[in-house]
Amino acid sequence: MKYIFLNIWRVMQRELHMMFARPLYIFASVGVMLLSTLFFLTLMQGGTAEKMPVAVVDLDQTSISRRLIHEMQATPSVDIQLVTNSYPEARKAMQQGKIYGIFVIPEGFYSDLVAFKRPQMDFYVTNAYTVGGNTAYKQMLTMVNLTSGAFQREVLRKKGLTDDVIMHRIQPLAIEGHMVANPWGNYSVYLVSTILPGILGLICLMLTIFAIGYELKMRTSHAWLKAAGGNYTVAMIGKLIPYTVIYIILGIGCHLILFRFAGFPVYGSHVRLMFGLLLFIFAMEALGITLIGLLPTLRDALSIGALYSMLGFSLSGFTYPQMSMLAPVKALSYLEPLRHYYLIYVNEALMAAPIENSIPNMLALTAFMVASLCVAPRLHRALINQNYPLK
Amino acid sequence: MRKILTYFVEELRRIFRDPGVTVIFIVATLAYPLIYKAIYWNEQITNVPVAVVDLSNSPQSRAFLHKWNAAPDIRLTHTCTSMAEAEQLLRNQEVHGIIYFPRDFAAQLADPLGQAHISLYCDMSSFLYMKAIYLSCNQVMLEDMRNIQIDRYEQMGVGKEFAWALVQDAPYHETALFTPTGGYGSFLIPAVLVLILHQTLFFGICMLGGTAREENQENFGIRNLIGRSLAYFLIYYALAAILLGFYPRLFDIPHIGSIWDILLLLIPYLLAVIFFSLCVSVFIRNRESGLVLLISSSLIFLFMAGISWPKEMIPDAWWYIACCIPYTFGSHAFIHINSMGASILNDGFTASVAPEVLALCIQTVVYFVLACILFYIRKRHTQAQQTAIS
Repeated sequence: MKYIFLNIWRVMQRELHMMFARPLYIFASVGVMLLSTLFFLTLMQGGTAEKMPVAVVDLDQTSISRRLIHEMQATPSVDIQLVTNSYPEARKAMQQGKIYGIFVIPEGFYSDLVAFKRPQMDFYVTNAYTVGGNTAYKQMLTMVNLTSGAFQREVLRKKGLTDDVIMHRIQPLAIEGHMVANPWGNYSVYLVSTILPGILGLICLMLTIFAIGYELKMRTSHAWLKAAGGNYTVAMIGKLIPYTVIYIILGIGCHLILFRFAGFPVYGSHVRLMFGLLLFIFAMEALGITLIGLLPTLRDALSIGALYSMLGFSLSGFTYPQMSMLAPVKALSYLEPLRHYYLIYVNEALMAAPIENSIPNMLALTAFMVASLCVAPRLHRALINQNYPLK
Repeated sequence: MRKILTYFVEELRRIFRDPGVTVIFIVATLAYPLIYKAIYWNEQITNVPVAVVDLSNSPQSRAFLHKWNAAPDIRLTHTCTSMAEAEQLLRNQEVHGIIYFPRDFAAQLADPLGQAHISLYCDMSSFLYMKAIYLSCNQVMLEDMRNIQIDRYEQMGVGKEFAWALVQDAPYHETALFTPTGGYGSFLIPAVLVLILHQTLFFGICMLGGTAREENQENFGIRNLIGRSLAYFLIYYALAAILLGFYPRLFDIPHIGSIWDILLLLIPYLLAVIFFSLCVSVFIRNRESGLVLLISSSLIFLFMAGISWPKEMIPDAWWYIACCIPYTFGSHAFIHINSMGASILNDGFTASVAPEVLALCIQTVVYFVLACILFYIRKRHTQAQQTAIS
């Protein structure tokens, strides 16, 4: 028993030596994580796309249409970049990505309006850019209501009604929207909460594969096993401890930066959410062991690992919900640890759900760890026989 | 010239003899888009489960729910007697939204001066839930509202015609351009196709550079640089034509642009990516470390380019960096041509992506010169090392 701890210590020393000899390990873990954190936290300042550049095509060219445009320009949530009397010009600007919506005031707008002929306004929004288009759409609705409400109000005022009464007549029915757990509709909160842990998981997976696969590639696995006294388990534990310590520090740091420093909300338990993150990190490490165990060639395992974990960002379902995926794709999504972390995040941070809701996902993450034990015999043989191609 | 040709053939041989690079260059490039298409197969999200809490229990609220349930976006799955019950369902993710009618809903509607309220609670774990629930509910609400307004004006003694004119003094008509279904895949897949080309080329070249360095087979001659680039360009031109020309048609996502414009755009795009990757590959020490270090760049490039998050909202500092990445201009140019029908040459009718193409050409020149300089420095460096050894 004493020897086991001694051997673990020897493997760890060997590993630390290798780690500091190659800057890659620190760059790829701490460096990449710092850069990604800096990038994603500063990318979406405020987190809401409030106004997008749009164009107004004024085919009416009357004092009323011009006054209307002035009024729209004065509205803080509207950003009119282009006022023109030619629709093709506006369409071109949209094709060039300069604007996200076009608002058309028809010819004869003023004369039709006063004759109660109900002139029709048209607006166009681009769907080629989702967030830009959606924001422009909301803006267009504001512009329409500005136009339409203004005229109604004018007529009613002439009838001697007070503004309060008018308001209820114009809007007898109202929707109160409540965005549960993200009342600001903050895109950053929604996106970065899953992307950053996802990147950390990606790093854990790739570096674990690299740390083990490099021994195979450089034919140093015998020295590694020797340091461990020939014991596979000791070899693995000793090797993974230094990395795991780095990942745990990065994981806790990531959690604190997101949910303390950046102030992203956690309505449930911080402890359980952080526990979920650590389980996710271990699951990604275990997945790395499984992959290098199945494909004991550094290059193959890394390529497959990269492709596999990049899919996690789509399959986890935080952008495009999993409920809308095809059944086989849905099944596949459970093989992505990120899916389980995302569900724990939803349960803990957003829904403040009881722990029972997160337990299946925590168990699933644990299953990834158990699965990595199954490749142990195969990986052990590969370490001894070194019978896989180098390149 | 002959030397360049020799290097070109040599590089082709190296690529196809290296199973690792072949997998990244060809298998990943061709297969990855298919997986993305499978993930976003349904494009729209439909039948989002919603719980109902109807305290008013009135014919009006039931009529509203009936109409709303007909919308494809949502499905009313649970009827609850209290908010607490509905919140429990939301917490367990059995529903992704709650609609709540207060007790006085019908009374407020009946009161000519009243304003009735509907409360909507949306699950924010995905923004697409909110979009589906909110927009479909809003549509039903607007339709109902007009009828109520007209009723109220009629009660006031305003004639029906005039009431209509008042309520819809200026009706509007909305049109979604370019991807009429507003599908998520139609929006994301074009950008992902361009990114897959960028990243597989990037990783593959870094891997080849690292391998050469490991095997001490590096050659930093300018003719070698040109010969190698030619090999990458040839392989990727064929791949890119399939990805950007054929896949959008196969996938049935928008493809209103001219194929000739796409094929023309590919020339500066691929060249810029190749020289950019060659510049980075100089710093890669072995074949695998590039992949480990650069894997997360895929996400950063995607977001920095201003595809998911609008480019107008990206801080200047990041945008300047984005302008150094070929993907930024390549993706926008491709989306403008493929999804929005722009063209490269200005024909007076469609918009031109000439600014993006120009930017790619500038990047090509800059990265080519930079690659030559870096190659030259490395050449001097290795020569100095060799003389030191001998």
